[in-house]
Amino acid sequence: MSQTWLISGSPGCGKTSWILKTMLSHPGACGYLRLDGHSDIGLEQASNSGIDQAFLKDQIPQLLDLSETQHASRSQQGDLLALIELPQFHSPQHADLAGIDPRIKNQLEALQLQPDRHLHFGRDHELPSKDKLEFQKLESLNLSLNRSVWDPPSLNTFWFELVNGAYGDVYRAKALMNLPDGRSMFFNWIVSQESSQFLPLQEISDPNGRPASLSELVVQGKHLDCLRIQSTIDLCLLNDAVLEMHQMPLRDQQKEAIPSS
Amino acid sequence: MNHAIISCLHANLPAVEAVLNDIDRQGINTITCLGDLVGYGPQPNEVVELIRKRGIATCQGCWDEDIIDGLNACECSYPSQLAERRGHLAHQWTDDQLTDENKSFLASLPTSLRRDRLLFVHGSPNSQHEYLLPDMDAFAALERVETAGADILFCGHTHQPYVRELRDGSIRVRLQNADHDCDQGEELTLPMRKIVNAGSVGEPRHGSTNATYVIHNDATDEVEIKEVAYDVARTCQAIVEAGLPKVFAWRLSHGFEFAEQAEDASHVCER
Amino acid sequence: MIERWALVSGLRGNLKTYDLIQRDLKKTRGVTSLFVLGDLVGPERNCDALLDRLKNPHRGDLKPDCIYGWWEEQLLAERGFRGERKADALRLSQGEDAVNALLNTVNPSNLNWLASLQFGFIELDCALIHGSSSDVGDNLTSETSPLILLDRLTRLNVNRLFTARSTKQFHLELTGGGINSQVKDLNGKREQQQEVPKRSVIGIGAGLNYTLYDVGSDKTHFLTAGSKTNPKRNGFA
Repeated sequence: MSQTWLISGSPGCGKTSWILKTMLSHPGACGYLRLDGHSDIGLEQASNSGIDQAFLKDQIPQLLDLSETQHASRSQQGDLLALIELPQFHSPQHADLAGIDPRIKNQLEALQLQPDRHLHFGRDHELPSKDKLEFQKLESLNLSLNRSVWDPPSLNTFWFELVNGAYGDVYRAKALMNLPDGRSMFFNWIVSQESSQFLPLQEISDPNGRPASLSELVVQGKHLDCLRIQSTIDLCLLNDAVLEMHQMPLRDQQKEAIPSS
Repeated sequence: MNHAIISCLHANLPAVEAVLNDIDRQGINTITCLGDLVGYGPQPNEVVELIRKRGIATCQGCWDEDIIDGLNACECSYPSQLAERRGHLAHQWTDDQLTDENKSFLASLPTSLRRDRLLFVHGSPNSQHEYLLPDMDAFAALERVETAGADILFCGHTHQPYVRELRDGSIRVRLQNADHDCDQGEELTLPMRKIVNAGSVGEPRHGSTNATYVIHNDATDEVEIKEVAYDVARTCQAIVEAGLPKVFAWRLSHGFEFAEQAEDASHVCER
Repeated sequence: MIERWALVSGLRGNLKTYDLIQRDLKKTRGVTSLFVLGDLVGPERNCDALLDRLKNPHRGDLKPDCIYGWWEEQLLAERGFRGERKADALRLSQGEDAVNALLNTVNPSNLNWLASLQFGFIELDCALIHGSSSDVGDNLTSETSPLILLDRLTRLNVNRLFTARSTKQFHLELTGGGINSQVKDLNGKREQQQEVPKRSVIGIGAGLNYTLYDVGSDKTHFLTAGSKTNPKRNGFA
């Protein structure tokens, strides 16, 4: 039987990680949708960068995109587990389904999605509770880095500086970044955890010019110095000539690996 | 007699003043400076002028050399594109600031200083750009001291102060050449030598923001590594006021280097 | 197949010497590679005929792999291939006449080929260089301090360094020993012991004197082209 759950929580509480884990242990088909949250006073929601969707799709290639899949085709998947991710700062005032924000309800109805359950991080014990961050004030920065490729040691330094406060107080940072060897790396950091999570995606881009895969950086925190973040990033990205220097030997290796016969 | 060795001042005037005060308080009159008076920091002219005024014997560092000869450090000196571009930016800024007189002073500095069995260099006797890290191959480290004909080699450049004693060394060899039918075996006993790294006054990289330098007693050969607290906030403010990248101030105030150091300790620039 | 290298240097334009070595190699079993470790040119004679033969081997020649040596470095520097550097080392040691003599021994049409030659080869765990990684003119001999030899091996991280600059033939093997090191820093003191790694430096000779190296057994044979010396006499394990 098909199930539809709405999973909400504040930034960095572990929604996407929990969703991935739950989907991997579900024997049947899985669907995913990430909704834009609504900003509260002083608390700015990060706009939907597509990072979570791209990351989950990479980990579970057969994942259904609930925003594109019609209700009819969903109902044919008898044991579909549809998980809807919602960034939400504060705990709902009412329990279970009654606690869903009416604005969210409308959005879901338009997509013919009706949750059977609503789980909120920090309220429902079924969810892990290690990160119950209460934010009073939060700014958000979204940077599109599509087609950009990083010098790997520079990326290392930039990320270290970013999460350690060189460009303002960062509470949360996540990103998909392209490396010159074709890999796309998922970077994930939250202030309450000691270290960053770095995960290479399964999909590798061909060494032919700039990659087409999604690349975004989302930073949430206070007093973020967007101009300095951008100017440091500019110092770290590879130009076409240097990218070609990295890609040429990779193309040669590919040629050697494929016999000419 | 005690003498003090300072290195890698990097245009950080409050740090230089604090270290010189600390040395003066101990009644030490002989000071040797191992170069990198300028680079990254906000007060290049003030630091050069203070060293000149005090008449401190100084050898040339890689930054001092690059300011005079133009930026010709090989690319592999930088561990990342970001570090390289920040380095170039700092170089350009320093070049614009330094007076001709101070540039002439940097140009006049020797690459090494020798006092009897003590040799003073910035990086290594081979190059101002070579890093002698504390855990580099012990034979290669001994070779640097021995080939230079010194008992104790004083260096800087790594920004990490240390004293390394190399002793009880030997190498056994077996030789065959075209004129001999039989093998010749022999053993070479290696001499005991020391490498003393003075750390950094203006850009420490040992886990805290304190400036470091060393004191050597030339009668007992005892070496003491000294840490001196200074007004880091004053330097950080000067960095921002000078229009240098704010991230330099952030890095300095957290005990990180302005940029980063090359990671390959054995790398020798062949240019 | 057993791999056996022939290592040659210091031909200095002498085609006759090279021809004798090629004849020797034809008679020697199992030589798989010929490495010419620099000093293809020299001031004594016109070098163009030798350079043509190296570039375009005769039928039956073992094809040579060449790197540049000290004399090429002087020639290329004087001809403007090394930035602002000139043939300073040659000028200092042998005077202006030697520089002029060298310039006259090589047709300018050969300079681009000489300039395309590499500094050295790394084959398996062996480095093949005219001098050493320190300098093309690094004159390593069996009398050089083992500490310096060990340093040159360490810089390249190889087990065997084949060098030609000294023109001598020798095989010096580091067989043992060690060193103690104590480091004191702000975190305290630590002790380290380091063993001498089993590594070798091999001088390959020059001119008629050349070297065969059996890769599998790590044996060197010091030979003289055109002589009837039994290669086994100088075998060295």
